[in-house]
Amino acid sequence: MKNQLTSFLTQLLEKSSNQKGLDWLEKQVEKIAFNRTPSTFFLAFSQASRFFKKDKLTISADSKEQANELVVGFQPEHWDELQTARTVLMLSYPQEKEAWFVAMNQLFETADMHEHQALFAALPLMPFQEDLIPRAIDGLRTNISLVFDAIALNNPFPAKYFPEANWNQLVLKAIFMQRPLYRIQGLEARRNPALAAIARDFAHERWAAGRDVMPEIWRLVAPFVNEMYLEDLKKTLATEDDLQVKAALLTLRESAYNEAAQLLESYPDQVATLDMEAIAWESIGSEFQQTRV
Amino acid sequence: MYIDPHIHVVSRTTDDYEAMQKAGIVAVIEPAFWLGQPRTEVGSFKDYFSTLVGWERFRASQFGIVHYCTMGLNSKEANNEPLAEQVMELLPLYVGKEGVVAIGEIGYDDQTEAEDKFYRLQLELAKEVDLPVLIHTPHRDKRKGTIRSMDVSEEHGLDPKMVIVDHNNEETVKEVLDRGYYAGFTIYPHTKMGSERMVEIVKHYGPERIIVNSAADWGISDPLAVPKTADLMRKSGINEEHIKLVTYQNALTAFGQSGQMDEQDWLNAAPLDQTKKMSGNSVLRGGQTPRVEGSSDFVEN
Repeated sequence: MKNQLTSFLTQLLEKSSNQKGLDWLEKQVEKIAFNRTPSTFFLAFSQASRFFKKDKLTISADSKEQANELVVGFQPEHWDELQTARTVLMLSYPQEKEAWFVAMNQLFETADMHEHQALFAALPLMPFQEDLIPRAIDGLRTNISLVFDAIALNNPFPAKYFPEANWNQLVLKAIFMQRPLYRIQGLEARRNPALAAIARDFAHERWAAGRDVMPEIWRLVAPFVNEMYLEDLKKTLATEDDLQVKAALLTLRESAYNEAAQLLESYPDQVATLDMEAIAWESIGSEFQQTRV
Repeated sequence: MYIDPHIHVVSRTTDDYEAMQKAGIVAVIEPAFWLGQPRTEVGSFKDYFSTLVGWERFRASQFGIVHYCTMGLNSKEANNEPLAEQVMELLPLYVGKEGVVAIGEIGYDDQTEAEDKFYRLQLELAKEVDLPVLIHTPHRDKRKGTIRSMDVSEEHGLDPKMVIVDHNNEETVKEVLDRGYYAGFTIYPHTKMGSERMVEIVKHYGPERIIVNSAADWGISDPLAVPKTADLMRKSGINEEHIKLVTYQNALTAFGQSGQMDEQDWLNAAPLDQTKKMSGNSVLRGGQTPRVEGSSDFVEN
């Protein structure tokens, strides 16, 4: 797996990066595997910034598919060249568990923000994943959005491994930081009643403070709509905001609650123009992000 | 546009950052130093070094200022030898990182044997990783300490062009410049230089290899010392070209030798967008309106 990943990532870099960087990378990979000392690895990992830019990779449809075959949920189209090169270096460090953790712990503890971005985004490509769960949970305590995004967005690791409380904390913090929820993998599958209640409390807090509510929040509520949530959705429908209204209607449409269907019937025109669910949430999410910039 | 090539911004407030940005400071260099009291554990150094390349860099970027740093074991704390040994083991983890523009600030404080030992070890480290060196010259017995710093640096074969000797005054400047070093001047009330004296030095020695900084930290100091001194130079009839050299270009040339500092970092920076820092626990608290600067507009907070 390790070798397949390395050659896949190297191929991606070959499409985007310069020859000087690629030559340097090849040499470092050999050196790291040969020396087997953390210091060679640490130095190369840091100095990769001298050879690779933070430009996004250019990824073909085939490569996207191949990435997903290698690791389910791996989306290198969100990666830049520098983090890809750093991941190649990370994968070339010998994977003997005890020594690997000594080196990786030190690297995590001394990383700068772009190094953190590379490391956390590469969690699903690392060995010993179950032992890395606490590291990922701790990483989410960051206030640096770049680092938060590397764990929370377009990354299969949290949905696969996080216990419910930590998963809910991730989603809540993403809401709090107004990150695009549709980019959290497994968001729909891992909805749960506790998270719906947290989302509702958060919405009420925002309303009490006279602030608006991120429309994507209602997606978390959809499977659990009852009398209580219905009141919130009515309130949301009463706003003049197009995105809010759309989000409330999508939530009602997904709900199996009787009164939800009845309420939906009073908005026939708007319902007719709604997209398919998944696409609709994505477009609400991305439109909302655009209102923020 | 100004660069403050020596400022300890971890100790400064967001008001300072805003004032610095308004005054035209585009980039800062934060030399690793002590915290006003000695550290007792190597972990304190580790977390401090990580802050310099992590949170502080991010924080500065929220105010439209590009943050660089230097890494090193300062002379005061070199005197705790067992701890200093551990810090030396830690340094290789940081010196190669992005935006680390020099080894520093290193040199002498009391001019003890321990200080000398770790100064020399770090000169060797700088040579090994091909980074410039930022020398802190002592407050006491300054002239002798400054000359000794240069003697030892030359003993280790460093090119004076790669070395910035900081905290100069009227007594040290001539020899530092004559020997080919960059000469840093710290505009810091009471203990170091005042702006008027700085104007006289530039008039006397010209602008070549002279660098003005604030060294603002947790003491009574002024994060606007560089732009204020530039203004005084203007009023005193020093020409713009010379002002630019001592408050911007020379610092860029000297620390740019690291390959880690490029004018494009601020000239081509993404537009200032405080929404990236998010609400809540970040720099902006809930309810504050973020300041967003577009290509043609500027919304004041």
